[in-house]
Amino acid sequence: MMEKEPRLQVTLPGLTMKNPVMPASGCFAFGREYAELFDLSELGAVAIKGTTGEARFGNPTPRVAETSSGMLNAIGLQNPGAQAVRDEELPFLAGYDVPVLANVSGSTPEEYVEVVQTLTDAPNVGAFELNISCPNVKEGGIQFGTDPDAAAALTAAVKQVSTKPVYVKLSPNVTDVNAIALALAVEAAGADGLSLINTLLGMRIDAHTGKPILANEKGGLSGPAVKPVALRMIHDVRQVTNLPIIGMGGIQSAEDVIEFLFAGADAVAIGTANFTNPFVCPTIIRELPSWLDYLAMESVGDLRQQGVNI
Amino acid sequence: MKNEQMMVVENKTIAAKTHELTLSGPLVDAIDQPGTFLHVAVPGDDLVLRRPISIAAVDQDVGTCTIVYKEMGVGTGRLARSRAGDQLEMLGPLGEQGFPVEKPQVGEDVLLIGGGVGVPPLYYAACELVKRGVTVSVILGFQTAAAIFYEREFHELPGCDVRVMTDDGSNGHPGTVVDALNERPSPPDWLFSCGPRGMLRAIETHAAHPKTNGYVSLEERMGCGIGACFACVCETGDGSSYRKICREGPVFAFKEVVL
Ligand SMILES: Cc1cc2nc3c(=O)[nH]c(=O)nc-3n(C[C@H](O)[C@H](O)[C@H](O)COP(=O)(O)OP(=O)(O)OC[C@H]3O[C@@H](n4cnc5c(N)ncnc54)[C@H](O)[C@@H]3O)c2cc1C
Ligand SMILES: Cc1cc2nc3c(=O)[nH]c(=O)nc-3n(C[C@H](O)[C@H](O)[C@H](O)COP(=O)(O)O)c2cc1C
Ligand code: FES
Repeated sequence: MMEKEPRLQVTLPGLTMKNPVMPASGCFAFGREYAELFDLSELGAVAIKGTTGEARFGNPTPRVAETSSGMLNAIGLQNPGAQAVRDEELPFLAGYDVPVLANVSGSTPEEYVEVVQTLTDAPNVGAFELNISCPNVKEGGIQFGTDPDAAAALTAAVKQVSTKPVYVKLSPNVTDVNAIALALAVEAAGADGLSLINTLLGMRIDAHTGKPILANEKGGLSGPAVKPVALRMIHDVRQVTNLPIIGMGGIQSAEDVIEFLFAGADAVAIGTANFTNPFVCPTIIRELPSWLDYLAMESVGDLRQQGVNI
Repeated sequence: MKNEQMMVVENKTIAAKTHELTLSGPLVDAIDQPGTFLHVAVPGDDLVLRRPISIAAVDQDVGTCTIVYKEMGVGTGRLARSRAGDQLEMLGPLGEQGFPVEKPQVGEDVLLIGGGVGVPPLYYAACELVKRGVTVSVILGFQTAAAIFYEREFHELPGCDVRVMTDDGSNGHPGTVVDALNERPSPPDWLFSCGPRGMLRAIETHAAHPKTNGYVSLEERMGCGIGACFACVCETGDGSSYRKICREGPVFAFKEVVL
């Protein structure tokens, strides 16, 4: 176990985190596999795989393709369904001293509400993260994520049944104006925080066959290639709201985390980099204190303060 | 499952665009089942995904293992440039279900069928079977003469019957591994296979016999390699559920999953 570093602690609605680092939704399943490699209690939080009302099988394979400094995925929200997550996965995670950010998806507003109802009383669920920005499913997901009115209505509906704070995960597949409008709309509807960014819609074609590499044709781009987009969006959204922001998109190192905190994020999530290096989260957490020393900052919170004032 | 730096002992070309990489490191201690694989981090910062490569042989006494890979793109191309003394980071051994080499009994008819770079894990399987006194027959399929590798290595295993097939007939027998399978007088007791999906599908169809215990090793594009990302799933044979190839495979019994 790592020593507790008070300088790294961050307290966000529903999430009392030892440090600002969590694995991002969809890249860590429900923690079981990575638990074989390191102690999950070292993490600031765990964002679980996007959960829907019923179990979903997801899209045909191939579901991933590599790109320059990134990857495309079209998993299609495969998950065991809310009841199984509640009965089998959350109790496993409860064996660790780490809060859970429960990522929720659905095809209809009713489905989001149903998932939140099923999971909201699980003791280790600290907060919800509404995935209104998944580019890989035909219904739901992205359509809520591009229309501020739909996003606000969904947020309000979920807030009514949730006993835990609610974060809304925004998509980069929108215009600047739309991103700001979405952030303000969900804030007005009662969101307790924002997560950004989800993946960017992309595509690859096999040069030998002329056919798309992904069976789904298109997929979500993640990894270092999207980092500048993520930083830009966090920076812009930070100008208009004081809601807590969980920043993500291409983080691979402690230096990247510092960059996100300066951009205005309060905490970060790490996705694709877990595949590159399964120890990336604990490694970054270990390296953060020396970055604070180097920057002559007392705590992680100071970075965010500096950032807002840029 | 470990994630470690392994040292390149040797990296040599053994057929057209095909290389054999011998590695040493403590991870070798954990290797004990043919069919399992390594998730290889390719040198360079621009590649975010690792490359899954099957274990072709292991020598616990010397502390080395061997992988054989074909240059297919940027990642395997870069691996081909690694030299003795270089360090490569690997996660492994991965996969909970390999070839069940402990099951066939001495005297039973054991057939191994490999296509192209599907051959390496079968070589590891053959070594383990032969160690237990079980003799094996192998059918190796390649596109052309220049692609052939490990023919001699299989011949050197005691009692091993080797048949090489090439698609263009430039070496061995002309035709596919399925042609060779169909020419056999009786169904084998055990059949282990690894190769392209189409080949595995044909084998499962042609070798479906109540006497035959058949197993196939599957490939799929992978993200995490350990069961966390749902990239590599396939449907179970009855359509009711799914398996993760990286975690619950990569080897499955005939009909366990949809090929
Ligand atoms: C369990 C398993 C065992 C394997 N064992 C061997 C082996 O022993 N020898 C061997 O030569 N090859 C093996 N392969 C295939 C090998 O992983 C690919 O040929 C290799 O990843 C191609 O990488 P690249 O960078 O050269 O190609 P690129 O096409 O540049 O790779 C781009 C992306 O596609 C993925 N990819 C491309 N082809 C495949 C494929 N056939 N299977 C899975 N992912 C792929 C890569 O991993 C990478 O993420 C195995 C695959 C799996 C899943
Ligand atoms: C394989 C994979 C699966 C994902 N699944 C989900 C998901 O279920 N729900 C969700 O909100 N985001 C999902 N995402 C998006 C990530 O949580 C994250 O927002 C995005 O990948 C950007 O971060 P990164 O560049 O660090 O990966 C997924 C991403 C990947 C690569
Ligand atoms: S590669 Fe991630 S689940 Fe198999």
